[in-house]
Amino acid sequence: MIGVIGASAAGKSTLAKCLNRIVPAFQDGEFEGAVEIDGNALDGALVSQVAATVGMVFQDFETQIFSTNVAHEVAFAMEQVGMDRDEMRARIGPALAAVGLAGFEHRDPTNLSGGEKQRLAIAAVLALRPRVIVMDEPTTDLDPDGKAEVFALIHRLRGQGLTLIIIEHELEELRLSDRVLLLREGELIADGPAAEVMANSDLLMECGLRPPGLNQVIAALGAGAHAIDVDHAEAVLRERFPSLPRAAEAAQEATADPAAALAPPIDTPQQRPLIELSGVRFSYPGGPPVIDGVDLTIAPGEFVALIGQNGSGKTTLAKHLVGLLKPTGGRILINGRDRAALRPAQTAAEVGYVFQNPDQQIFAATVLEEVCFGPRNFGLPEDEISRVAGEVLKAVGLEDAVDRDPFLLSKGERQRLAVASVLALRPRLLILDEPTTGLDYHEQLRMMTLVNDLNRTGIAILMITHTPWLVAEYARRVIMMFRGRKLFDGPVRRFFSDPAIFEGSSFRPPEVTMLARRFGAVALSPGELADWLRRHI
Amino acid sequence: MPIYLYIDRGSVLHRMHPTVKVLALFVMFWSVYWVDNPVALLPLGLLMLVVAQIAGAWPNFYRLRWLFVLVILVTTIAWMVFYRKGVPLVNLRIISLSRQSLMFGLGRGLKLAELLATSVLFLSTTKVEEFTVGLASLGVPYRAGFAITMAFRLAPLFIDSALTVAQAQSLRGYDFDKGGPLERVRRYVPVIIPVFMGALRKADAMAMALEARGFGREGRPTSFIEYPVAPRDIMFSVILFLIGFAYFMIYKTGYGAIRPG
Repeated sequence: MIGVIGASAAGKSTLAKCLNRIVPAFQDGEFEGAVEIDGNALDGALVSQVAATVGMVFQDFETQIFSTNVAHEVAFAMEQVGMDRDEMRARIGPALAAVGLAGFEHRDPTNLSGGEKQRLAIAAVLALRPRVIVMDEPTTDLDPDGKAEVFALIHRLRGQGLTLIIIEHELEELRLSDRVLLLREGELIADGPAAEVMANSDLLMECGLRPPGLNQVIAALGAGAHAIDVDHAEAVLRERFPSLPRAAEAAQEATADPAAALAPPIDTPQQRPLIELSGVRFSYPGGPPVIDGVDLTIAPGEFVALIGQNGSGKTTLAKHLVGLLKPTGGRILINGRDRAALRPAQTAAEVGYVFQNPDQQIFAATVLEEVCFGPRNFGLPEDEISRVAGEVLKAVGLEDAVDRDPFLLSKGERQRLAVASVLALRPRLLILDEPTTGLDYHEQLRMMTLVNDLNRTGIAILMITHTPWLVAEYARRVIMMFRGRKLFDGPVRRFFSDPAIFEGSSFRPPEVTMLARRFGAVALSPGELADWLRRHI
Repeated sequence: MPIYLYIDRGSVLHRMHPTVKVLALFVMFWSVYWVDNPVALLPLGLLMLVVAQIAGAWPNFYRLRWLFVLVILVTTIAWMVFYRKGVPLVNLRIISLSRQSLMFGLGRGLKLAELLATSVLFLSTTKVEEFTVGLASLGVPYRAGFAITMAFRLAPLFIDSALTVAQAQSLRGYDFDKGGPLERVRRYVPVIIPVFMGALRKADAMAMALEARGFGREGRPTSFIEYPVAPRDIMFSVILFLIGFAYFMIYKTGYGAIRPG
């Protein structure tokens, strides 16, 4: 198992695509050098000819499923290579069993979850019995459950003599790789065992990657080692610093010593709420409740993370705030006005909504035009529009890109442009749906710094996210949805200090907070935990 | 909300050989094409109702009921505006209501509705894979047939994406309902561009994924599912040929046209 890591545009995908001839077949450019698979040079081969030797699984599971039932999907590649029917039948069962989809033969793939779809794509590749399987960010579009499913499968497959090449930018998932390749701007910077490459936090940061949180803590304390999980990290630290407290001792200390709590003050908003929900319910006609009696207020200037597994009602709830959905029960007030009496466009200047995929709103010919679109819809005078556009483009760091074509921007830039174009309406609450999906670490940091800065200027933030460390390091209040209800609503520190809150749900806290708990501390970031540990060595 | 029309049943129509299904689609279009007279179109309409009953396709017709009503009503009325032959029974200035214009308008409405019904029945009973097989067995090259059927599979994805884009734009204060009819069409540009760009990106990704699964190799792909030809398939084909022939004869003899008077 080989992990390939690097920031966006480091050349990971391009390298991987050389292995099955997608590069140079699909990309214009110069191609030099030779690729050999199993001793055979690939020169001049067609992508379709390499398919039986090198299987490839892509990030977007929607674009790699072509059939109307699961068995047929697995058969697709075998049909293409001209396999006879009996052989196909014999291979479908084992391929589905290998990915944990036995019994799904007659299901419609469109009704599967993201994780199941991605496992199906892997089964379809497995059925050809390739020597090598390349996976290009196979879990980027998946929720935590889907991610866990796919990585569990990857670890099962590696025991079967397959060569697996996995491209990822979340390094935690690649800690058990036999070998890690680190790329930067098209060059191979490091190539070695995971323990060696991943322990070098500084180099990873330089290359635009987020080192595993546990390794960051260990590195900050000067014990340069690579931890494969929380147990391992605890063992490394205790060995090096035997005086570190145990969970039980420190728990008492934490209550006795308020400074140990390290908490920034929690906002206790006294102003009139921006958003008030009382007893809100929602269900699709004839369906079960998606939102089941939610009471909620959001005050000006808050920073709220809205979390919960897929289908828990997060996005449905957020869509109610902007009026895209109307509750089937209960009441929603926006700034004291009844939501039901207002159309979505009427509150666009109060509540802004940035969709998960920026490409679902970008259409203008230039960055500036894109940002001016919203204010123009509200008929603001042109001089006012250009002033506002200038301000928001500066806020998102795109002030030098005004004349550029939005479609040529990077994913991170497009995401910031989407934020800018919603900000141009000067909303008092900004809803962000998974603002960091598909971004590399630098782009994620840039996006979150932007969100944080906006929040400091008084804009309330409601951020839907699956990424635990974003919740821990940026939000001040957490709302956790579970089956259409609020399971938790309170300060972020309280959320992470009591594991009983998310027990039974699929939420996995950042490893750093789990490690902190071993010492009896509540820490939300690697830096915070390292500081705490230094004081207790 | 299910966005595909296929209804998973085991009806005799579902079990028809894919070639016969594609042939049925063609024969129905062919028959409808030749005649204008609503009386001549009626038997086909009735046949489709019977087929819908056998195939259990009512849920799809129910879902699209307003489309059918609209197609028939709007077409009938629109033709009464432009088709000004015959002695007007009532003259409402714009609308010329004569027996002839009514028949012609109704015929056109029925024609469109029957084309729509044929498509709904076809998609209710035919899987994408069967469509590919059916086209291939009628001589359409595998790649072309695959591309056509892929378009059907992707249409719902694009509709879904268009809905999301429209939501995103309405939240930026955009009003789709401003202005006259032409202006309204033009106002869909902020939806069409993102959907189109998304489609291009997807098409590129899909082409890579297809080739990575061996699509486009030399030689004819095999088929995982066997489609044996049953005696009833031959019977259905004969019936279809007879229907097609009958409608061509109705046209030839002039019974399919609208007679003045």
